[in-house]
Formats: sequence, structure tokens, C-alpha cells
Amino acid sequence: MRKVGLIAVREFMGAVSNRGFVIGLLVMPLIATLFAFLGPRLMTAGRVQIHGQVAVIDPTGLVAAELRVALEPAAIARRQSETRVRALANAPSALRSVAGTSNPAIDRMLGDAPALEILERPPTSDVQQEKAWLTAPAEGPRRLALLVVHPTAVSPADVGSEYGTYDLYVPVNLDEQVETTVYESFREAVLATRIRARNLDRRQVEAVMRVPRPASVTVTLGDERQTNVGFNRALPFVFAGLLVFGIMIGGQTLMTSTIEEKSSRVVEVLLSAVSPLELMAGKILGEMAVSMLVLALYVAAGLFLLLSFALIGLLDPMLVLYLLIFFLISYLVFAAVFGAVGAAVNDMREAQALMTPVLLVLILPWMFGPVIARNPNAPLSVVLSFLPPVNTFAMMTRLASNSPPPAWQVWLTVAIGVLSAMAAAWFAAKVFKIGLLVHGKPPSFRTLVRWVREA
Amino acid sequence: MAPALELRQVRKVFGTTTAVDDLSLIVPRGALYGVIGPNGAGKTTCIRMIMSLLFPDAGELTVLGRPSALEAKDRIGYLPEERGVYRKMKVLAFLTFMARLKGLTQEEARDRVPALLARVGLPEVERKRCEDLSKGMLQRIQFVAAVIHAPDLLILDEPFSGLDPVSVRVLRDHVLEEHRRGATILLSTHIMAHAEQICQHVVMLHQGRKVLDEPVAGLRRQFDSRTVLFEPMDPDADLTPVSTLPGVVGIEAAEGAYRIALAAGTDPAALIAQVARAVPAARVELARLRLEDIFIGIVTGGQRLGEAARLRATLATEAEGAPA
Repeated sequence: MRKVGLIAVREFMGAVSNRGFVIGLLVMPLIATLFAFLGPRLMTAGRVQIHGQVAVIDPTGLVAAELRVALEPAAIARRQSETRVRALANAPSALRSVAGTSNPAIDRMLGDAPALEILERPPTSDVQQEKAWLTAPAEGPRRLALLVVHPTAVSPADVGSEYGTYDLYVPVNLDEQVETTVYESFREAVLATRIRARNLDRRQVEAVMRVPRPASVTVTLGDERQTNVGFNRALPFVFAGLLVFGIMIGGQTLMTSTIEEKSSRVVEVLLSAVSPLELMAGKILGEMAVSMLVLALYVAAGLFLLLSFALIGLLDPMLVLYLLIFFLISYLVFAAVFGAVGAAVNDMREAQALMTPVLLVLILPWMFGPVIARNPNAPLSVVLSFLPPVNTFAMMTRLASNSPPPAWQVWLTVAIGVLSAMAAAWFAAKVFKIGLLVHGKPPSFRTLVRWVREA
Repeated sequence: MAPALELRQVRKVFGTTTAVDDLSLIVPRGALYGVIGPNGAGKTTCIRMIMSLLFPDAGELTVLGRPSALEAKDRIGYLPEERGVYRKMKVLAFLTFMARLKGLTQEEARDRVPALLARVGLPEVERKRCEDLSKGMLQRIQFVAAVIHAPDLLILDEPFSGLDPVSVRVLRDHVLEEHRRGATILLSTHIMAHAEQICQHVVMLHQGRKVLDEPVAGLRRQFDSRTVLFEPMDPDADLTPVSTLPGVVGIEAAEGAYRIALAAGTDPAALIAQVARAVPAARVELARLRLEDIFIGIVTGGQRLGEAARLRATLATEAEGAPA
């Protein structure tokens, strides 16, 4: 055990004293920050405000004038502000207060509304002829749409029948924004016209129609807290992501260091002092400490953020404990495989070939993540949480979801995980014993099986 | 007391190749044994089995009285043929790590590393990274790693390969010093001259089988030299009169002279006189017996000159770049 400890300490120090470790540690937060800051800018930076004409045939004679008002910059700005309020409705209150009433990031996301010029056509205009206007070659402003208001848009034909709306004709490759702006403006214009036609008070109607959606309060044993939809949705992915990231950090470093030891031939010197099993155990433990250090730093940073946004109450502390348990299990399974691959091959290039299936398995949790998070107790979710090696990821996602699984399922996942970790370690120990001293042609899967039988 | 090493009918097969076949060997405590043979003879496989890096398919072995080296690792020093270090590690850290793996405490390691580095002539490299050292320096560092815990048994696989003559001499002196300290030493080499100079006892392997297991001192008594070295006055002289002499079974050129192989039962003294009479000689003498000759004699049975010449060429090629 003392020798295992010595190997583990050397492995840990070798990994964390490396400049690449610090860079690797900063990569994930850096990418997240860049995405948060640059994302909205990148998505809208190239967006040019659309200018053009919209021809309107209005048999009612009432809507077109209102439409012109609804398309004015002030009206568009007001509607954007309402959209912003809706976008922030689900955000934590701390975020809402930071965002305030004017948030440049959201404004950038929304972009500049199109500047549309209304061309009123006579109510009796021929629609076919006007359609030809859309496609006719012309200089000057771009012809964006032909809007034909239904005669019944303001007053239905009979009492009790439906209101009419409008038909929209557009040329090819029209920006979706134009249609959205036309719809929102038409909606505002036609509502105003209908209310006026009925001699109603618009403010009263809006007051009658307004039913604000409340933020629900999640009640737990002895505690209650405000439900946060965004937080709840993100949580399963964050925890599954931490699991995958922790494994990748430790597993990859373990494989690389094993390949280095093998190719630099230092491994035979080590094997004169320790057994292959001690060497493997020491290396796995050393890299596990590296992964746990990284995870601890990320979890601490996450808790700090939750504290500063007063959201810490939303996080179930048991989830962190489960993260630790499932990390240990999955790490042992994958580290054994990564270690065995490192021992079997001669260089990184050969390792890539054997690693492809392992990486595919690590991607599976991402593929199934949304499905499991949406339906945590669906048969697929339950089956996946008992199927190694993805069982721990699936169960972590389920635990962090809104409908956590029953306790017996959690412990069954743990039991299956422990068994699979033992099986992986057994397999890796056999490959380690033979592979470390074998150089030359990289082994095929059949050769690996033969080694396991021989060792 | 149990011998340092005992192998009983050990056999190791890789696929269709028998690397070691029916090998039995006893190395007494305090001995200095050499395992010799050309590349591919099975030396490294044999040593790896002793070190429990490989396991025999048949037979048994004991190391320092234990059934496996795994149970006596801290009492064994090992310098493998394929040597390596942690390139990014500093020499002091690497040697301390190895010392601690061999059971020394941090304090013991801290005391011994500088003393041993000074002993191998590298007192100034403690703070250097391993990757900054020359091959010869690294070889000495690795030797220090093998002896840092003052092992009872020191196993050196091709310790002199790739070294310049000065480094060979330095390393040879350290091996002898370890032997004087009381360590049992087993070293393998394909350069038979090295074994001749340093070992008390040699074990020859050929195609996985042991073909000789004798003390060096007794070898010359046991194996008669049946080779005469002949250098004619005229380098272009016609040697037909020599090759047709009775008792001569072959002549081959060697290092500016000729080696004349004698048939069994031929009197060397009489033949030397006949040779000198047949072709004027600058030098004619009985060749000093070498391990290489013994090996070739054993392998070819002294009969097949073509096979002997081929083996001699192979051994000469292998010895190139590894000065005696």
C-alpha cells in the first residue's frame, strides 16, 4: 500500500505541476464565459437592419392606418421591451435586478426590427396584379410583402362567427424577421381597430385580459423555495457534464502518462520495484485525486455563484454527495479502460483507434441527457440507469431532474456501478500485466482478450 | 543458505518460438555470473522471468530463497536492457522516488543519493532534469537507481551496451565494487569479452538452451584451443601450401592475419612448425582461447567451418559499437 501511495503521489504531482494542467483547468470556465459574452454578439453582429416596402390591400379601410402606427420605431421599441420582460420572467430575481429594464445583451439578441414602409393600395386592387408587383424587377427599396387584410378582420360577417385575419404574399428568401414584425404589428393594429369598432376602452380590455403567470413555490420538508425553471432544466446537464469532464481529465492524463512510461521504457524500471497491479492502482488513484481536485474547484466556483445570486437554497446538497459517489464509480470504470489502453499501445496514434469506442460511450450521456431529463422515470431512463457504463450518468441526470427516482433504484445503480468498476479493474490489471512490456504491433481486440486469458 | 537464484527446467514459449527451453541454473550467494549468448539467445527472457516480469510456461524458480521475485523486490537491484527515466523529472527527485519504492525512507534516500552520485562521478547533476543528461550519464544514473538500496542480488541486463570505452570501464568498476560489498551479481551480455573480463562464472545460451555453465577459470583447461594465428611476411602470399597441410580444416582471414582451424587430434606445436616452413611467417602462434571461440566451438561442434564463420561474423557485428 505504501508503494501504491508513492506512485499515486508522483502521478498527482506530475499532473498538477504541469503547465498544461492549469491551462486545462481554465479552459471550461473560459469557454463558458466567452460563450456568455461573445455568443449574443456573434449571433447578431452581422445582422443588418432590413429596409423595404410592404403593400397593403385593406378592404376594411381601418387597419392600414393603425398598421402604419404599429410599425413606427417607438411602437417596435415598446414591443421589444415587453419581449425582454418575458425573457427574464423565468430568470432568478437576482439576475432580473442585474438585467434591469434595459439589457444590451437581450437587445442584441433581439436585433434591430426591420424598417418597413407601408404602401396602401386601393381596397379594390387586383391581388394577382399586386403579386406581380412583388416579383417585378425594380430599382429603389426592396419589395418585401403583400398584405391582404380580410374584409372580416375588424367585424365578423355574422354575430358569433370568427374574425378574419390577413393573407401574406412574400418573395423568395425573405427574412423570417419581416414576417414576425408584420404579424406583431398587424396584431396590434387589428386589436386596436376591433376595440375601437366596439366602442370599448382599450385599457379596460387589456386589464381584463391580463393574468400574470405566478412563479411557483417548491415546498420541501421543513422548507420552501421559489421554483426556478431554468435552474431546474440546467441542473441535470451541469451534473452530467461535471461527471464526464472529471472522467476525461483523469482518464486522458492516465492514458497519456502510461503511454509515456511505456515508450520511455521507464516502466520496466518501475516494475522491478512494484507489481503491475500496484503500479496501476497507484496511477489510477493519483489521477483520481487530480480529477477530484478539478471537480472540487468547479463545484466550489458553482456554489460561490449560487451564493452570490442567492440561489444556494435551490440546490439539494445530496446532489453533491451523489456526484461524488457516481464520479468515483464512473472514474474507476473509465480509468481502468483508459489505463489498459495506455498499457496496450505504443503511442498516442495507436491509442486513438482503441479510444474511439470509449469516447463514443462517453458521448452517449449527452445524447440521452435531454430525453432522460424530460422523462426521468420513463422506461428508457430507468433501463439506462442500470446499464453500465452509462448507468451513473443516467442516474445523475435523473437525480438532478424534477422527479428524482426512488431510493432503491439509486442504490441498485450504485451496486451495478461498483460491480462494473471491479470488472473493469480486473480486465485492466490483466492487460497491464502483459501489455506494459509488449512493444511493436498494436494489439487487436482479439489479442487483448488473449492477454486477459493468459495473464 | 538457499542459493541466490535457482531455476529448474524453466521454459518460455512466445507463439511458435521457444525463447527459453529447459533451463536449469543455480547461482550461489555472492557469485558474479555472466549470462552470454548472441542476440535472441533468450538472455532477456530468462532475466525477465527471474524478475517476475514474465512467468515461465513450465519449470520453477526461486529468487533469494523465495518462490518469486515479487516477494523479494526490495532486496533486488535491476538494470533492464531497455532503460528509461522520467525525462521531465530532476535527477534527485527520480532517484529519491526509486529509492523510496525500494523501501528506503525519505531520510535514507536523501543521504544516499548524493553519495552515490559522487561515487559514479556525477556529483553536480542532482538538480538537472533527466532529459538534459547524455546517454552515458543516464546509464550511470540508472545504475545508481539499481543499487541505491544496497541490494543482495543485482541483475544487470546488457549493462555495457551503447557505452563508450571509458564509461564501460567506470561501470565495470562499480559492478565489481558491488560484488565486493557482497552482492550476488548476474549480468547478461552479448559481448563475450565483457563477460570474460568481469565474471567468475559464465552461462552460455544458444537458441534458448543452456550450452555451457562453467567457471571462467576452468574454461581454458577444459577447452583446448585448436586455432593457430598466422601472419605471413608477404600479405599477398599464396596460402595453398598451408591449407593443404594435414590437420588443417580451414583458414579464415581475421584482423590482418589468418586463423587456421585444426582437426581434432592435431598437435598444434608440430603444425606451427609446418606452417612456418610452408609460407614465410611474420607471426605464427597458438590463438588465445576466447569465450567466443568456445561458444562457436560448442554450437558448431568444431566441424562446420561455414557455420562457424557465419556465427563469428554475427558476433562481430553485434560487438560493433560496444568496445571491450
